[in-house]
Amino acid sequence: MASLEPTQNKTWDLSLYELQRKPQEIITDSTEIAVSPRSLHSELMCPICLDMLKKTMTTKECLHRFCSDCIVTALRSGNKECPTCRKKLVSKRSLRADPNFDLLISKIYPSREEYEAIQEKQMAKFNQAQSQQALVNSINEGIKLQSQNRPQRFRTNKGGGGGGSNNSGGGGGSGGGSATRSGSNAVHAHDTASNDSNSNTNGNDRETRDVTSNNTGSGAAASGAGVGGAGTTAAGASAATNSTAATTTSTAGTSGASTSSSRMQVDDASNPPSIRSTPSPVPSNSSSSKPKRAMSVMTSERSEESESDSQMDCRTEGDSNIDTEGEGNGELGINDEIELVFKPHPTEMSADNQLIRALKDNCIRYIKTTANATVDHLSKYLAMRLTLDLGADLPEACRLLNFCIYVAPQPQQLVILNGNQTLHQVNDKFWKVNKPMEMYYSWKKT
Amino acid sequence: MAQNISPEQSGAGGSSKHSDDSLPVKDNHAVSKRLHKELMNLMMANEKGISAFPDGENIFKWVGTIAGPINTVYASQTYRLSLDFPNSYPYAAPVVKFLTPCFHPNVDLQGAICLDILKDKWSALYDVRTILLSIQSLLGEPNNESPLNAQAAMMWNDQKEYKKYLDAFYEKHKDT
Repeated sequence: MASLEPTQNKTWDLSLYELQRKPQEIITDSTEIAVSPRSLHSELMCPICLDMLKKTMTTKECLHRFCSDCIVTALRSGNKECPTCRKKLVSKRSLRADPNFDLLISKIYPSREEYEAIQEKQMAKFNQAQSQQALVNSINEGIKLQSQNRPQRFRTNKGGGGGGSNNSGGGGGSGGGSATRSGSNAVHAHDTASNDSNSNTNGNDRETRDVTSNNTGSGAAASGAGVGGAGTTAAGASAATNSTAATTTSTAGTSGASTSSSRMQVDDASNPPSIRSTPSPVPSNSSSSKPKRAMSVMTSERSEESESDSQMDCRTEGDSNIDTEGEGNGELGINDEIELVFKPHPTEMSADNQLIRALKDNCIRYIKTTANATVDHLSKYLAMRLTLDLGADLPEACRLLNFCIYVAPQPQQLVILNGNQTLHQVNDKFWKVNKPMEMYYSWKKT
Repeated sequence: MAQNISPEQSGAGGSSKHSDDSLPVKDNHAVSKRLHKELMNLMMANEKGISAFPDGENIFKWVGTIAGPINTVYASQTYRLSLDFPNSYPYAAPVVKFLTPCFHPNVDLQGAICLDILKDKWSALYDVRTILLSIQSLLGEPNNESPLNAQAAMMWNDQKEYKKYLDAFYEKHKDT
């Protein structure tokens, strides 16, 4: 841009795309274009400190952007070339300040302090979960607590906080002694909301773990990292939505207390919806309405997802998975993870079926798991999961059931699946489209 | 040719730009912040064939693993590496070493790696992920012009023989 001076030995090789492309049309009406925070983030980020650009400097020739501090330090300490593309940068004079870009950022994130505070919080959250050992421990702890609580949660009016143990580091103490009053620690304010989402994280981990637990093929290190990944991703994302979560969980908490007539409902209220309903910028009765602004930008990606989600008006744990990882997993993990919508077989599991009656709305399940899990894993998982969910409600005849798993490449066509195929294979063979794979289950008593 | 520089050479070669004290050291907070971000990105990206995690509590010391690239003699082998980040990171490269002994033209018996981007071609934009990916691809594409392990460089041309020797070497050392 700035270098209009004769360029003797400089060549400007335009790529095919650059030669072809037309300028973007300016939008003059009130059309709004949604941009995912992720794609935005990579534009606004300084590639050196990985933070949001601060006092943007742009290289005059190759037009790469950095924080002023970062690029100056880089030029002083390293080669005199653009860190991004290695184009020679003779001195500071090869850079120019880019106030327009700073302006742009300040429009999108009006308060940098808020943004940084959120970042810090997210980081603290992440640090906490970061030690692998601690993570594994907290998962185990969570599973133990959950399984302990499951039968009595409702009777003793305590529990819900499966992963509370996770929070010793910086999560913050709960305010006063009001904690146990309503049976869910979601009721008291801000920090506790994260506490609650922690327990969610554990729940999620558990889902994934259940499905993949037989899956030792990929090596201990890899699977360890996998679990870590899932956990921390969720933790990170939940930190980002912290304040909104505070609002929604508190409603969830109260509804949990009021509707405690059936265990399933309590389960419902105290677990997933807290996260599930985070996306929409919630009309706030939360004490911390300040970070809202930035937050709504941050979460817009998720709200798209949740819109499509809400068409299938049904909840499960897996669902919260999808939402929590909106931040982290969008385009990245697709190859390794598969989202499933699991429905009862339309004919064999019709509405008068014992199991379906017991499950009620719970019969459709949303699951996200690793692509190398097999159909057998799924069916084991399903059996376990349903047994756990239903507990005493489950008719005796249905215990220890085996499931047949089907996939529906076309709406009317159900193909029964062989147990040792991996989900990846199934997906490649039958599904192919880029939306959660729809599978069906029916049970056999053998 | 410039791909690989012997670590001794570049260290002693008077280029002080990578030694810690000559650099404007940003406060540790900024460095650990960046490392935390890298860690977060790394875990979310879930990259195939590489992984890395801080070694214990210290965020400045990581242990990474790389899988030998497929269709090379290193396929199906896994190597562990240590990454030590200086206070001037990312303006200076981390010190990266093989923990699992690696028989390779550009890796010496102490695990030191001869790779330009870890020396004079370092850029602040490199991170753990790109470092590990670079080392991974170095495994399959050694630079035999400037070997640290002359024996490996000599043997490289006969891939069948090399593979045989490499497998024996790997089996013998992988647990040490």
